[in-house]
Amino acid sequence: MRIPILRNASAKTPSADRSDRNPDLRVGIPRILNQWSTPRFWTAFFEELGVKRRNVVYSSATSDAQQKQYSQGRGAVDCCYPVKCISGHYGELLTGLKKPVDVLFSPKVVSLRSFLGSHVVDCLGCPRVMAGPESARGGFVREGDSFAASGVRYVSPVVNMSEPMLLARQLTKALEPVFPGLSHDETLRAIEMGWREQDDFDAESREVAHEVLERCERESRPAILALGRPYHMDPGIGHEIENELQACGYPVIWGQHLPLDTQLLDRLFGKDIRDGSLASHFDISDVWKSSYSANTNELIWAARFGARHPAIAAAVRFSSYECGMDQPTYTPVQKILEARGTLFFSFQDLDATKPSGSVRIRTETISYYLERHSKRIMDRKRALLSGDAEKVRVLSESDE
Amino acid sequence: MSIVSQKDYQAYKPRGFTTSDKEKVTLLFGGLTWRAERLLEGVFHGSGYHARALPQATKADLLRGRELADVGQCCPTAFTAGNLVNFLLDESKARGSQDVMDSYAYLTAGSCGSCRFGQYHQSYELALSNLGLDAFRLFFMDQTNPDGAQEGGGLDLSPALLSKAVLGIMAADVIQDVEYQLRPYELEAGATDRASQLAVEELYQACQDAKVPANTLGVAAWTLHSKGIMRALCRARRHFDAVAVDRLQVKPKVKITGEFYLQTVEGDPNYNIHSWLEKEGAEVYPAPVVIWLDYLLRFNSQYWEDRPYLPRARFNLAALRLASKALLWKYDQMRRAMNGLPHRVPRQHDLRDLAAPYFDGRLSGGEGDMLIGKAIWAHTRNKAHMIAELSPYGCMPNTMSIGAMAAVQGAHPDMLWAALEVKGDSEIHALSRCQMLLTEAKSRAAEEFDRALHASGLTLSEAKARAAETRQPVVRSLPSRGASGTAANLVLDLGGAEL
Ligand code: SF4
Ligand code: SF4
Repeated sequence: MRIPILRNASAKTPSADRSDRNPDLRVGIPRILNQWSTPRFWTAFFEELGVKRRNVVYSSATSDAQQKQYSQGRGAVDCCYPVKCISGHYGELLTGLKKPVDVLFSPKVVSLRSFLGSHVVDCLGCPRVMAGPESARGGFVREGDSFAASGVRYVSPVVNMSEPMLLARQLTKALEPVFPGLSHDETLRAIEMGWREQDDFDAESREVAHEVLERCERESRPAILALGRPYHMDPGIGHEIENELQACGYPVIWGQHLPLDTQLLDRLFGKDIRDGSLASHFDISDVWKSSYSANTNELIWAARFGARHPAIAAAVRFSSYECGMDQPTYTPVQKILEARGTLFFSFQDLDATKPSGSVRIRTETISYYLERHSKRIMDRKRALLSGDAEKVRVLSESDE
Repeated sequence: MSIVSQKDYQAYKPRGFTTSDKEKVTLLFGGLTWRAERLLEGVFHGSGYHARALPQATKADLLRGRELADVGQCCPTAFTAGNLVNFLLDESKARGSQDVMDSYAYLTAGSCGSCRFGQYHQSYELALSNLGLDAFRLFFMDQTNPDGAQEGGGLDLSPALLSKAVLGIMAADVIQDVEYQLRPYELEAGATDRASQLAVEELYQACQDAKVPANTLGVAAWTLHSKGIMRALCRARRHFDAVAVDRLQVKPKVKITGEFYLQTVEGDPNYNIHSWLEKEGAEVYPAPVVIWLDYLLRFNSQYWEDRPYLPRARFNLAALRLASKALLWKYDQMRRAMNGLPHRVPRQHDLRDLAAPYFDGRLSGGEGDMLIGKAIWAHTRNKAHMIAELSPYGCMPNTMSIGAMAAVQGAHPDMLWAALEVKGDSEIHALSRCQMLLTEAKSRAAEEFDRALHASGLTLSEAKARAAETRQPVVRSLPSRGASGTAANLVLDLGGAEL
């Protein structure tokens, strides 16, 4: 689903005089936190501003080696693992690249763009997603400015990704010193290009997920829903647990990639809309009142989708060590899923250490349950969707 | 293996609060100082509600909160949820849980913020439901998230009531400030506490008796004048004036900052840090709630500053700025009623500018940039010798500010800043860290006092004699002559000198 954001940005605007700009400028972006849901945006955005695509450089995915090598003594606080890792990414971009970058761009993401945007109270980032860069920077300037020492310009604007007009103002102000003569219109156009590319990528991922779910349902094959923050897709943060599950033969679909196809959503939520219990396919107010946080809202919505979709027989919840945002959601997410009989498992407190032992045991458990019960779970969910109360009763009794 | 419930999960929705509930239901609230809570009781009682503050949260409440809600809460959530639950459990033992669910409702501030403050209710609800008290009513004062309280029509959080509540909280700030500036220097132990009790009762009565017109203009006019409350403050001052003090005792001044709940309350949730510091020989500079109210106005102003292209942006911005001016003007008026002794509130633009190189003022959650701004302000403007930063275990925004403080410390290596992680049950560790810095703060205060004596050309006994001669009232504006300590500033003033 493409989200319309700008009406006139692509209208012809006088092209900026770029002669003062460095044609070989290299921009380094730490691959952290919500970069996992917006990398295409930033690549296309900088490309539109004249940076060569190959010169938009991301730090590598989080790894133990990266953290050990680059964040030594930099981490200033004890907090959730994904934020703790920022220092390692900064360090890698500052000192670990063969070809150094000129700019380290690390936006402080105050709000995010979300397909739930108009259905929820707000689309804020987690306070640590917002301020993580500020905290990490502290460790790099405490004993002398490491950015200046590496000849790197540190640019870290506050960005409201959900508001294009404001975003353009914020980015123009922050990037004008890097791109002399940068105008508001030029930034707006770059933002539109960015979202276009991101939307295409998202649409593709959702399309693939749609096909997988359809196939699973057709073939009565269980799929697993992975519920987490976007950065749980980072192999160093989520520890590739989803791959272990895939290896057992179960397709795993991230909540972030669930299809938004109207026909499908109508099948899942139409009845509730017609009887007035939901205002729209994207309404979550009946299960989650404080819908301020974009990632949390989407996670709750994905849980509700997973609870209803017949092909999703199990859901696996990812949560990082000392995550504050997830804490109040543990029970609601589990209850949403279990209310319709979807199996629920969770990996909590994920940190630097891959929980290999528990992943193995849990994977075996999940396989065991899916082998034994997935058919009945899927039949029952289908019966629940079609309102066949008698079938639901029979299937539930055989369950007990 | 899960059993299908046949019923989809639904978020908690409290029964409405009806007009007949107003007669029989007691509204519970908490999370502030005993002074502010007592004055809020006055506000509610005066508006025809039964209301009472919960007892001060204890360690037992922390454990209860941890036990009943999902793991990983920040410690203020655990304290406040456990506090409510323990109170209700005790009451249930005496009168049965149905009676408790019918006789009490809990009222607290909600938030449209990004941290857990906006999601506290989830922990409360889970804790209550784990105890079978599902039908208990929790109401969150949050305009963006109607919670059903208004549905029954019995709970009218009108502008008149809210404005009385704000003035009550500000008056409590003023009383607290005076109290903390007298107690360390009192000559008779307990005299200040007694005066404070009497002062708060004067104000309780004024809050209860306040009659605020219902229309907007009437509310605004009443808020600016509020004669009853202002007169009560003058009466309160006389109670404090009766406390004998010796301000020439040298004491380090310690500014309390940190997360809102922890810096505000006085008790187990923050290891009784206020009284601990006083016992250790410090003068505590507490954190008034009014700064937080002003911060909220500033933060909302920024919203409109950043979006001039939105309809009514200029009007909204002007209205918020005016509200901030009115708030501070009112607070200054209250300070004047106390002869200017309570500290002046630091201006938000000042705090924002000081914090700007380290923490962006647009970042929300918790205290935002204030934590950093206040630390730099206290240090560079000689407001305190040391800053005790109360940082809740598991807090999201606070950990980020603490990280950014690394850069501040790099720029101000002489800043005595103690970040105390408060878990609720690791008191010794936190207090011993505080103790280390306090020792240094004491020696700085002593050294500063010596410099003050030298600059003023007085000996201690001459200063004492001169102070006795001046016969000034106890509650009066204290001089600020370039020192942080009260005694040093006084000596400088007596000698007509500056540091
Ligand atoms: S959502 Fe959780 S894991 Fe992510 S930054 Fe916030 S606290 Fe950390
Ligand atoms: S500011 Fe921190 S301690 Fe306070 S409610 Fe938010 S997360 Fe909890």
